[in-house]
Amino acid sequence: MRTRTSVMAAVALLAVTTGCGAADMTKQASPFANARGAKTVTLSVQSWVGAQANVAVAQYLLEHELGYRVDTVQIDEVPAWDALSQGRVDALLEDWGHPEEEQRYVKDKKTIVNGGDLGVTGHIGWFVPTYFAKQHPDVTDWKNLNKYADQFRTPESGGKGQLMDGSPSYVTNDKALVTNLDLNYQVVFAGSEAAQITQIKQFAKAKKPFLTYWYTPQWLFKKVPMTEVKLPEYKEGCDADPAKVACAYPHTPLQKYLNADFAKDGGAAARFLKKFNWTTEDQNEVSLMIAEQKLSPEEAAKKWVDSHESTWKQWLS
Amino acid sequence: MATVTASAPRALPAVLKNRVIAKLALLALAAAILVPLANARWASGSWPDALTVDLTQPLTSASDWIIDNRDSHPLFLYFFGHISNGVVLSVRAVYLALLTIGWAGVTALGAFLAWRVAGVRLALGTAAAFLACGLLGMWVPTMQTLALMVVAVLASVVVGALLGLAAGLSDRMDRALRPVLDTMQVLPAFAYLLPVVLVFGIGVPAAVLATVVYAAPPMARLTALGLRGADKGVLEAVESLGATSRQRLLTARIPLARKELLLGLNQTIMMALSMAVIASVIGAGGLGDRVYQALASVDVGAALAAGIPIVLLAVVLDRVTAAAGSGTGDRPRAGWPYALAAAAAVAVAGRLLGRTEWPDAWNVNIAEPVNRAVDWMTAHLYSGVPVIGGTADWAGHFTTWVLDPLRDGLQWLPWWSVLLIVAALAWLIGTWRTALTAVLAMAAIGVLGVWEPSLDTLSQVLAAVAVTLVLGFATGIAAARSERFERALRPVLDVFQTMPQFVYLIPVVALFGVGRAPAVAAAVVYALPAVVRITAQGLRQVDPAALESARSLGATSGQQLRQVQLPLARRSLLLAVNQGVVLVLAVVIIGGLVGGGALGYDVVFGLAQGDLATGLVAGAAIVCLGLMLDRVTQPTERRTKKGA
Amino acid sequence: MSTPVFSVDGLWKVFGPKADRVPADPELTALPAAELRTRTGCTAAVRDVSFGVRKGEVFVVMGLSGSGKSTLVRCLTRLIEPTAGTIAIDGEDVRAMDKARLRELRRHRAAMVFQHFGLLPHRTVLDNVAYGLEIQGVGRAERREKAAEVVAKVGLTGLEQRRPGQLSGGQQQRVGLARALAVDPEVLLFDEPFSALDPLIRREMQEEVVRLHRDEGRTMVFITHDLNEALKLGDRIALMRDGRIVQLGTPEEIVGSPADDYVREFVRDVPREQVMTVRTAMRPASAEEAGAGPAVAPAATVSEAIEAVARNGGPVRVVDAGRCLGVVDSEGLLGVVAGTAPRKEVA
Repeated sequence: MRTRTSVMAAVALLAVTTGCGAADMTKQASPFANARGAKTVTLSVQSWVGAQANVAVAQYLLEHELGYRVDTVQIDEVPAWDALSQGRVDALLEDWGHPEEEQRYVKDKKTIVNGGDLGVTGHIGWFVPTYFAKQHPDVTDWKNLNKYADQFRTPESGGKGQLMDGSPSYVTNDKALVTNLDLNYQVVFAGSEAAQITQIKQFAKAKKPFLTYWYTPQWLFKKVPMTEVKLPEYKEGCDADPAKVACAYPHTPLQKYLNADFAKDGGAAARFLKKFNWTTEDQNEVSLMIAEQKLSPEEAAKKWVDSHESTWKQWLS
Repeated sequence: MATVTASAPRALPAVLKNRVIAKLALLALAAAILVPLANARWASGSWPDALTVDLTQPLTSASDWIIDNRDSHPLFLYFFGHISNGVVLSVRAVYLALLTIGWAGVTALGAFLAWRVAGVRLALGTAAAFLACGLLGMWVPTMQTLALMVVAVLASVVVGALLGLAAGLSDRMDRALRPVLDTMQVLPAFAYLLPVVLVFGIGVPAAVLATVVYAAPPMARLTALGLRGADKGVLEAVESLGATSRQRLLTARIPLARKELLLGLNQTIMMALSMAVIASVIGAGGLGDRVYQALASVDVGAALAAGIPIVLLAVVLDRVTAAAGSGTGDRPRAGWPYALAAAAAVAVAGRLLGRTEWPDAWNVNIAEPVNRAVDWMTAHLYSGVPVIGGTADWAGHFTTWVLDPLRDGLQWLPWWSVLLIVAALAWLIGTWRTALTAVLAMAAIGVLGVWEPSLDTLSQVLAAVAVTLVLGFATGIAAARSERFERALRPVLDVFQTMPQFVYLIPVVALFGVGRAPAVAAAVVYALPAVVRITAQGLRQVDPAALESARSLGATSGQQLRQVQLPLARRSLLLAVNQGVVLVLAVVIIGGLVGGGALGYDVVFGLAQGDLATGLVAGAAIVCLGLMLDRVTQPTERRTKKGA
Repeated sequence: MSTPVFSVDGLWKVFGPKADRVPADPELTALPAAELRTRTGCTAAVRDVSFGVRKGEVFVVMGLSGSGKSTLVRCLTRLIEPTAGTIAIDGEDVRAMDKARLRELRRHRAAMVFQHFGLLPHRTVLDNVAYGLEIQGVGRAERREKAAEVVAKVGLTGLEQRRPGQLSGGQQQRVGLARALAVDPEVLLFDEPFSALDPLIRREMQEEVVRLHRDEGRTMVFITHDLNEALKLGDRIALMRDGRIVQLGTPEEIVGSPADDYVREFVRDVPREQVMTVRTAMRPASAEEAGAGPAVAPAATVSEAIEAVARNGGPVRVVDAGRCLGVVDSEGLLGVVAGTAPRKEVA
């Protein structure tokens, strides 16, 4: 008798909670968004400083010029696409090219729209310190890298030369490149960009040779001058199969992406973010303030905003 | 008397030795037959490719299918969607409530709650902790974490209590649940993250559910324990008075299990906090997210500013719930209305004054001075200190002279010999059943195709455990021998034991930079308190009569320790090893965030790249590794986990 | 004689696998305990026990630990399910009762007092005493009133709001006693209630039970391993060994005419003059003795008679309702004390 009642109760509960309608979990905002009536924009931040600079300036202007409340969420690029599609994040300000995700979300599901160019062109490559390149000019051609493998050795790379990679979230073909170009190198992941920068600075202080995955625009070049190693030339589609890549990285105009609903209904904030567009120098200026002068992102953004009124006024128009 | 106690420990190893020899002989026989066979077919040092199953393809397509169908398939629309919705709604409700009450109201409410439950001193401590969170500029993240915690803890308690009730009342349920719960307790928190992300995607729902899965088992275990451990005499008396089984449950069994239930609540809260912080990796937001962001840019000052509120929250929650458990409940109930009314008054006053948001002007910026200190340390301690070298040099030496040889050695060993060693260890310490589980778990790692990174992780675990045990046993012995030392040590251990795993990563990055060495250092610091405590307790609990008789025979204190205390405390020492291994593994895995590499890195990579196949395989390997390590060191008796 | 309150017939309790077959198989029932265990893996805690408890008497079951006495008393209200045999309370078959009827029995007809008290540690004394009534569904005010009454009766006035942990052992057992009394049961069952108490407190509690019995005349079944306690409290004693009753009788019968060597050994050190009555030492009175002189009652103990004889300086009459049954003299009394008096059946 009692069991029958409880079974009926359970069925009823199930009916109430699940049967009375569908719940689309891809259309849920963060529980912390829009608290207490404030208009909130949620921006995703990636772990590198350039991305922090974009977000810091956008956040500052949204809050001080447009009266929004801004939440930032640390998400790496690929999960950020997913979060963007679900509306948990409203905008992604710096994307380095994820064709697969673009196909899925922008073209197929139409939950994300392109927000235009960021204005910065990104390029990934392999770099050696300029002081080393000056001594050994031929190191800048990949064909000669094996000759120098011994000099690039570290405890972590064992018997091979070390090719230092950064955060696990970055776009990288390095493992495939090392194999396909038949290089006597071991890819060592520093775990984060900060760790990588720390390492690079320590190498530079001791004037030691190193080979690292790095990218432009990057403020670190001002501190530690580095020269790119030429990889086999990039041709359209040569990186289509991740396992067979044997060419350099492309030059990518960095893109902004917005959640489709936000782009439509986001009002002033969405218009502003679509117009947001600045130069490599601008980004580096803010990045340098954050990373080297140890200003908080907010202070750095304020400094930049105070001195570049003409630039950002256009974004608000 | 003296001869009896003196001969007992000596007789024991003799018996053991015979059994040991028998087991080893049997194992050697099995090896002699199987190894040539295995070697002939799959001769290779590493795990043979022929025996691996590549799960990348099916897992990737499963993950793609889920992403493509998340907004259309009925399973998601009518089941997971509602769960997800419910979580979001309730977290949001709690969060808004906390913001509405305002900082003054929340602080007052916390303080009055602590006062009613645990007395004036803890009430002041609670208020101070909340204010400190505000001062550090972490009020909103603290409230976010708190909101997430409230929902997760409530859900964990309900789920755990229901499971515990089932296991406490039905023997069959108990037999089915116990091994599962026992195993869940030894698994690293990281392993729980990926499956929920697969279904729910990154975000708060996944974080809450991972937290519930992680935090419910202690509640279930302790509920079952309390119900089963109830005084049989009382239950019989209750039955003799003609109570129905429902009356028996409500008026006797549950009230009698009060202590265990509250201990369960305490442990659930502590584990939920630990997980809610780690879950920032999958989008939990709040304090954990601030630590995570700061770690990504090696901003130790910012990490500390977010880490301190976590520690304060942990200490306050632990002390208050522990006090609730130890109290007899005799305090008059009359105080509750006053306390609530006072809290409400403060909240209303705060609202009327328009001060619900923490005033920014009051923030104290500790990040800068801390970073300056860290920079100074990096400049002066990090390397090149005369004679002793810098911390980075130590880390480098540790990597070159300990971690590398260990890893290379493990990876050089033929795969079957690793299995044999595992089998031998597990069998010697446990039963053939634990040995079988351990070997199967280890073999599963090979089958999953992550043999090499798993051995890398294993090498870090072994190195960390070795350091932990040396330090832990030494400290434990010292604590057991000197009252004063133990008294001084106790509060330190208390605080360290309540801290979430994540917090340990901050200082080690400052000291040792990035890599495997800091991951090992964090693991050592995390596991040390439990090992010290169990060792000291075990040595102190040695039969005083045995010690007295040894003293009366004129044994020196060194002889007493070697010949009486250590042999008699053997079981505790084994338990300390077991706990040490389990705790070390948990942090070594998290060490993936600070360059620990191996399995932990694979999980982070899987999350970062949305490559769930890599992450899930690594997660499964972590589970297997945890299972194997636990079984290999499993003493016959086990105690509740850290946080107890 | 009226129907017994409890009548037990051929009761068996066997623990172990397939316990049912043991009482049914005459070959197995004949085996001694050790052999039974090796043959079947079973232990027979109660073996073929029969007795009746009369209304208003104190029936003591006595035996050393492991003799099965505690199991026996739990079988009476089926706290332990018997394996075979019959139990009836006021003629009603206990083993045939369904759950509701059994609860009824436990709630109203038989209440038990336990060796280790079995109090609820989280409740006050008053709420512990009222617990039985609460289980029955009695309203809060009513049950507290009743409980307060009983608390006063067992001498705990003033301690109502204490918790069991704050009481001494003796006080706790008074709470246990009060809890059993509060439901006003027909029979009180005591399971070694005073074994855990200090000797002084134990005597005090024994006197409390004697007083209660005198005041209320409630039927009691009392389990003990203490022979002196049994002799002091019991109207009749069942002496158990290895699950069987080896002798059932009044204290005087047990001490005066042990059924076998085991019982004889058991009662050897008992001060006989305090247990035996003058009937045992009596001889027929001659005509002149029957007429006059000091008199004692037939229920008087030998030690009381010794005192009377010593004071009188000669034989003393045993008088029951004005009729002289016989006389006792120093010779007869000495014989009882020395254990040399000829045994005879007592009327």
